[in-house]
Amino acid sequence: MPADRSAAALRDPAWMRGLLIATALAFLALFLLLPLVAVFAEALRRGVAAYWAALVEEDAVAAIKLTLIVAVFSVPANLVFGVAASWCVAKFDFRGKNLLITLIDLPFSVSPVISGLIYVLLFGLNGLMGPFLKAQGIQIIFAVPGLVLATIFVTFPFVARELIPLMQEQGSEEEEAALVLGASGWQTFWRVTLPNIKWGLLYGVLLCNARAMGEFGAVSVVSGHIRGYTNTMPLHVEILYNEYNFVAAFAVASVLAMLALVTLVAKTVLEWRFGAELAATRHK
Amino acid sequence: MAIQVSGITKRFGAYKALDAVDLEVRSGELLALLGPSGSGKTTLLRIMAGLESPDSGSLQLNGEEALGLKPRDRQVGFVFQHYALFRHMTVFDNVAFGLNVRPRGQRFGSAEIKRRVTELLELVQLGHFADRYPAQLSGGQRQRVALARALAIEPKVLLLDEPFGALDAKVRKELRRWLRKLHDDIHITSVFVTHDQEEALELADRVVVMSQGRIEQIGSPADVYDHPSSAFVYEFLGQVNRFDCTVENGVAQIGNGALSIATDHAVRGAAIAYVRPHDLGVSPAVGGPGRVSGIHVVGPDARVEIELAGLSLEAEMDRERLTALGIATGDRCAVHIDRARVFAR
Repeated sequence: MPADRSAAALRDPAWMRGLLIATALAFLALFLLLPLVAVFAEALRRGVAAYWAALVEEDAVAAIKLTLIVAVFSVPANLVFGVAASWCVAKFDFRGKNLLITLIDLPFSVSPVISGLIYVLLFGLNGLMGPFLKAQGIQIIFAVPGLVLATIFVTFPFVARELIPLMQEQGSEEEEAALVLGASGWQTFWRVTLPNIKWGLLYGVLLCNARAMGEFGAVSVVSGHIRGYTNTMPLHVEILYNEYNFVAAFAVASVLAMLALVTLVAKTVLEWRFGAELAATRHK
Repeated sequence: MAIQVSGITKRFGAYKALDAVDLEVRSGELLALLGPSGSGKTTLLRIMAGLESPDSGSLQLNGEEALGLKPRDRQVGFVFQHYALFRHMTVFDNVAFGLNVRPRGQRFGSAEIKRRVTELLELVQLGHFADRYPAQLSGGQRQRVALARALAIEPKVLLLDEPFGALDAKVRKELRRWLRKLHDDIHITSVFVTHDQEEALELADRVVVMSQGRIEQIGSPADVYDHPSSAFVYEFLGQVNRFDCTVENGVAQIGNGALSIATDHAVRGAAIAYVRPHDLGVSPAVGGPGRVSGIHVVGPDARVEIELAGLSLEAEMDRERLTALGIATGDRCAVHIDRARVFAR
């Protein structure tokens, strides 16, 4: 069979394939799977009761709540910003467009600790706006607003980065068609633009959310680590760990790990959906 | 509906896309804006639709100033080169879009919308494709959906931007004839943009030839082809032999007198002479001034390349004529010019 032979010529020998696959799997097991299993194993070392007790303990609940609050504010903020920014970048030409794109990417290239520090320098007691804020009785640093601001900064690029290439590829002809057909700006956005980007948008929001809940560095700087008040889950894990309270530390960490797993599954499902849809629209 | 364009100028940065353009589109006609890329034809069309706004000038739709109107208030149908169909909607929803987004009160009931859309899909011969998505259609089918969608809002004017540009040659020809027939049936004032002179000459009632943001000539297809008003139009419309020449006493001398053409135009001195390949006659002549340097047969036509006094010429004839002449590559020949046009340099 000449067809089979030519196909065989394009294939690597069996031992080579086996070796490559084994290497990849071993690497994955060592660096991803093993730590994940370790988190749950450590958390459950003293039994389910101890695990559960560590999760419903007052400070742990406060940390979980605070993490959710931070996400509830920062994810929608970045959703709106992300859509607006990618709309600007993809559908219009203006001066400073490249600067805007660079700025959107800034949080990716800046260390999260620096991101947190910027807010301390801006809003802290001795910061640029510190005296003014103190006079107004507003506290940002070492309080929830600071946590939200730092998280927004760090998760800034996720939605925009996801949407800009997608919208650039789609162009603005469909929007123009809608306008000529009599649609208003809102109708055009809701009926044409949003349906075209919905999967990409959801994907970006998912990544943004995962990062918002998991952020450590920037949040650590602005938090002040006040137990029960300004400790998010990652910070709470660190405190517990430093107190040698391993079971509690890993129990809270396991919640974060589960969040990561849920995100991963959702992302895979989306990629599957989104990929099929993209392939359909690209098929010309 | 008639369109009156007066003194429209549009710049993109330092680049002048349109330079004080005046144009009248008559009610019910099919008008072609023809020109090379960068001539401003698409910009002019987009200004008519309200997708672009000019820097100065005025635009009247049916005698009323329209530049202040939004695209949605102009009652124009626009067909995009790459269709711009809504990719996440079915063919039916694409065509229904313009009816569905009408303000409440002006909107038809869903039964009426269904009736109209079905009728339009029949008109564009896509009745069975209502539930398909654009990605599942061929290029020609997509363009017909785009046309049905544009017609759904009952526009007073139909504007088409390179409507056949993205289609292959055969589909393009079919769709062209079909559009001409459609226009003859519904008589909607239509303007289409094209860079394909054959398309413009075949399809349009009148052709507007544009170059570098200006209108070079307006006229019927026969008019612009037979009586080009400028060297640009002559060169742009079809194949052409171009010669440098000098004109004295009404005779243009080409190639130091190797060829001469009588010209009744008031041209003197250095000039350019244009001869269409089918106006160039060839006859076999032993010891003649020309030499056949190549023969290319394309379907029913033949192109004969001739070298004469250092010039290379191209003649076009049908294949039977070529056989009757009995010339072959390398033969000597004589050349005579049936018709030429001379422009001053």
